Amino acid sequence: MNPNNAFLLAVGLPVFASPVIYLIGRIATRKNPKVDLARWLALLTLLADGYFLLIAGMEFIQTRHELLIAVGAVSLRLDGIALLLAAVVLALGTLVTLFSGPAVARDSGRETYFALLTAMIGTIIGLGAADDLFNLWVWFEAMALCSYVLVAFYRNEAAALEAGVKYLVQSALGTVLVLLAIGLVFANTGSVDLDEIRIAAQPSGLMLAAGALFIIGFGVKAALVPLHTWLPDAHSQAPSGISAMLSGVVIEAGLVAMLRALGALHLVTVSWGALLLGFAAVNMLVGNLMALRQTQVKRLLAYSSLSHMGYILLGVGAGAVIGSEYSAAGGFFHILTHAMMKGLAFLAAGALLYSLHQAVGNHDPLVVDDLNGASRKYPLTAFAFSVAVLGLGGLPPLAGFMSKWQIFVGGFQTGSAWIMALVVFAALNSVLSLGYYAPLVNRLYRCQPVRIVEQGKPIPVLMSLPMLILSLGVVVLGIWPSLADWLTGPAAQSLLMLFGG
Amino acid sequence: MAEPLILLTVGLPWLGALLCWAAGDRHPRLQHTLAVSFSVAAGIAALLLIPFGYERPLVTLPIGGAFGDFTFSPDGLGVFLAAVATVIGSLAVIFSVDYMRGEAQLGRYYAFVLFFIGAMVGLVLTTNLLLMFVFWEITALTSYALISFHNDDPKAVAGGIKALIITQFGGLGLLIGALVLFAHTGSYDILAVIANPGLLPAGALAWMAFGCLAAAAAKSAQFPFQTWLPDAMEAPTPISALIHAATMVNAGVYLLARFFPAFEGVPGWREAVMAVGMLSALLAAVMAIVATDLKRVLAYSTVSQLGYMVYAVGAGGVFAAQFHLLSHSVFKALLFLGAGAVIHSVGTRDMRQMGGLGKKMPFVRLVFVIGALALAGLPVLNGFWSKELILEAGLEHGNPLWMLIVMLVVSGLTAFYTFRMVWLVFYGQQRAELHAHEAGTAMKVALAPLAFGTLTTWLLAGSFSRLLSESLPAHPISAHSTGEILLEVLTAPVTLIAVLVIGLGLAAWWQRDRLTGFAPALAGIGKAAANSFGFEAVNRAVVVVMEDSAEKLRSTQTGMLSWNVASLLVALIVVLAILALGVGLP
Repeated sequence: MNPNNAFLLAVGLPVFASPVIYLIGRIATRKNPKVDLARWLALLTLLADGYFLLIAGMEFIQTRHELLIAVGAVSLRLDGIALLLAAVVLALGTLVTLFSGPAVARDSGRETYFALLTAMIGTIIGLGAADDLFNLWVWFEAMALCSYVLVAFYRNEAAALEAGVKYLVQSALGTVLVLLAIGLVFANTGSVDLDEIRIAAQPSGLMLAAGALFIIGFGVKAALVPLHTWLPDAHSQAPSGISAMLSGVVIEAGLVAMLRALGALHLVTVSWGALLLGFAAVNMLVGNLMALRQTQVKRLLAYSSLSHMGYILLGVGAGAVIGSEYSAAGGFFHILTHAMMKGLAFLAAGALLYSLHQAVGNHDPLVVDDLNGASRKYPLTAFAFSVAVLGLGGLPPLAGFMSKWQIFVGGFQTGSAWIMALVVFAALNSVLSLGYYAPLVNRLYRCQPVRIVEQGKPIPVLMSLPMLILSLGVVVLGIWPSLADWLTGPAAQSLLMLFGG
Repeated sequence: MAEPLILLTVGLPWLGALLCWAAGDRHPRLQHTLAVSFSVAAGIAALLLIPFGYERPLVTLPIGGAFGDFTFSPDGLGVFLAAVATVIGSLAVIFSVDYMRGEAQLGRYYAFVLFFIGAMVGLVLTTNLLLMFVFWEITALTSYALISFHNDDPKAVAGGIKALIITQFGGLGLLIGALVLFAHTGSYDILAVIANPGLLPAGALAWMAFGCLAAAAAKSAQFPFQTWLPDAMEAPTPISALIHAATMVNAGVYLLARFFPAFEGVPGWREAVMAVGMLSALLAAVMAIVATDLKRVLAYSTVSQLGYMVYAVGAGGVFAAQFHLLSHSVFKALLFLGAGAVIHSVGTRDMRQMGGLGKKMPFVRLVFVIGALALAGLPVLNGFWSKELILEAGLEHGNPLWMLIVMLVVSGLTAFYTFRMVWLVFYGQQRAELHAHEAGTAMKVALAPLAFGTLTTWLLAGSFSRLLSESLPAHPISAHSTGEILLEVLTAPVTLIAVLVIGLGLAAWWQRDRLTGFAPALAGIGKAAANSFGFEAVNRAVVVVMEDSAEKLRSTQTGMLSWNVASLLVALIVVLAILALGVGLP
């Protein structure tokens, strides 16, 4: 197959398949409520999409020529960043689809769930590949629309609705700022094409303002502190599979959008990277401190996403500001490993939430006390959760250690005292984070399970399988980190070209 | 031949860990058998590896990029410590067969023990500093998991997390060291920087040197990080013997000894190392005198003895440090396992309730006394020879005399608390109604070789010095025969003084009733020691400050949409202001 066509299909298939999934799923369910066709259709779509992406991606990896295609006004570019984001979202999305079957099976509107999930995956692939500001904004909005509905999926729950509304309002405000920024850039350069803006955008007050609007506008979605206030609610109230997607890919997609926009303005000022590094420090500290006293498991994981966004920003920021390839590669590696580890953590928490609460018909949140002794009844889930949080805490031989390490190495190679200090600060934050990760593991491995665990329902095989795959991945990448080089290396080179080339 | 052996020594315990875990807790017999066979096999592999210490074979796993190639290359230091880790590891596993019989979650226990043994071997055999850090952290992870093995006990959980966080905090020093090395040389090769410290600019080398000192101090429970080790005594006793006495805590000493040729020229480094060792030895010995928990006494004495080794490295006595490490591993593992047999038998760790147990446990008393005499440094046990070598090293290279005097005083204190411990446990009147029984077979099987080793390992001094001097060309170690070393110790004046001081310590315990006149004067020190000289208060203060600030920060999450939007606008203004000022990286 022609790689360009494969690329076009990889972007288009999920988006166009989404309504079909909904319709067929709806009809099938109406005929027989037990049939859950939407899930399998979604899975099939994603697997096929993975195949197309593989063809397009291999072409790019082998030739190192970016794939460029345009359909009418929609222009797309497959570079390293786009490929990395697409690979991560597809892989995690497929596992989440597999996982979500039993979890949403008893809820009405499951075909909505799978259709929107597929659409969201497609829009994120599109966002990564967008080649002009207008398309970037459209993909970004489309992704946001899917995610609003998914966050408020439990629409009869007041807390879920509240979370959805907060998310909607804050994101909408961010969108307005992004639109203003696009307007300013267009007025100044006469173009929305990223390449043309790169050449035309010169230092000026208005362009600085545009950049600031991009940072804040996209930053809402990327969960920069203090724009993050929607996140703990949204990530904890959403269905667990969606929490995994939100933490693992959606906030990173916001960052990618920001990087594309700022990269186009790279001649305007040298401050972009420094700003990212500043947010990195704030995100790490605030995320960790907020997580330290949390008693709700999913809220705790949501706050830990803030601190991990900080690590990603540290890598990407050092790449943008100094051009350190290891830093940038580390940042993208951390996007990958964080998606795996945080995805795994949310799936494991979701599996426990399902078997302890939802399967017996209550919508209480999963609190840390519910974990006590859970390993006695759910050994695999407890193990997966432990691997996930210890990996997030940066302990070897797990993937999180290696991606943080690569970020740190890059930071020290820059030779900048400020970045080195930031690296040490980041490492200190990792130690601090163990203060809330480690006790969770201790709770899981108590001998005496709490009553709610003893009364819990079994966890279906389909939920266990994705956890098993992710656990294995976290361990393998922790032992053999260079397995991800083919993905993170080109992404790093693309980033350096955005900000320096 | 050597390459597969290297991989086997690391890989066998890890394979065993997987199998023990996979065997499932419904088959405890199978788990015991698997753990014993794999740890013994690893021990044999490590012993077979010793002759290859001269040859420096090399195993390379190509990883590349920011991670360097993962390389293993055993030399004298490496094979020796690998042998210690696996042999004492297998004895601790054998001991566990009795000690852990009937415990729940055996799979987790054995998996982590074996995982630890493999990681410890990897730590000492690798020549890639990143990989060393990886193994360093894995040993911290397993140590944490095993300290809090009894997760239902809040004290065990707190002890485990405390150990994890303090060693990780100190571990940042090693992290900085590895990052500095890579930033300047583009590789993690340890041997290159040892052979030629000039690879790094002086400033960078100093960061690396003091970073490694911080990491070593945290790992080896040295001043000012010593507080985690006593709390780690919540672990099952075989773990205390293996990880917290004989192997993992030696990693810090190993790190300092390994890098000694590279760091000795860094201004102030040797003095700092000696000071850390001396302070740890002194403070911990005083704390051991007032402690009443049998395992805590042993823990303090571990800190104190590790202090001797750290002091020795700083003083330039790398061979003395490593030789004492060998002696200490053997006799302290013996003491801990002996204590484990006692605790397993009577069900308490409080020495005030023990007393007169020797009659009921003659075998345990015999081996424990052998270990205690070695700890006290009485001739002719292994602890005597190695400790004297350290004190001798303190005299050389123009090292400060007052530090040596402090170390001599500590050897007197060591004798005092050792005799106090032996007396309180095995002699005198029984002070509480305790049911005691003799140790089981597996326990005896583990104790006997250690007792034999305590009596004999000093005979290895000659071949040990030859192994180290030939395989470590950059280190200041010269080969001597056993006879030469023993003669040197016996004729050194400092030996005589040390024996006198040890005798004084012994006499002080003997005549303790007559010395009550000093009690008021020493009460203040005793009280300070019981409060660990304020270090616990510092630990608690750090935790309280972190938790308070975390709690206060929660008020920023108002849950009010209008505040959320306001913070968004404020952030926009701040970003605009920063951009207007044109802030870049200075």
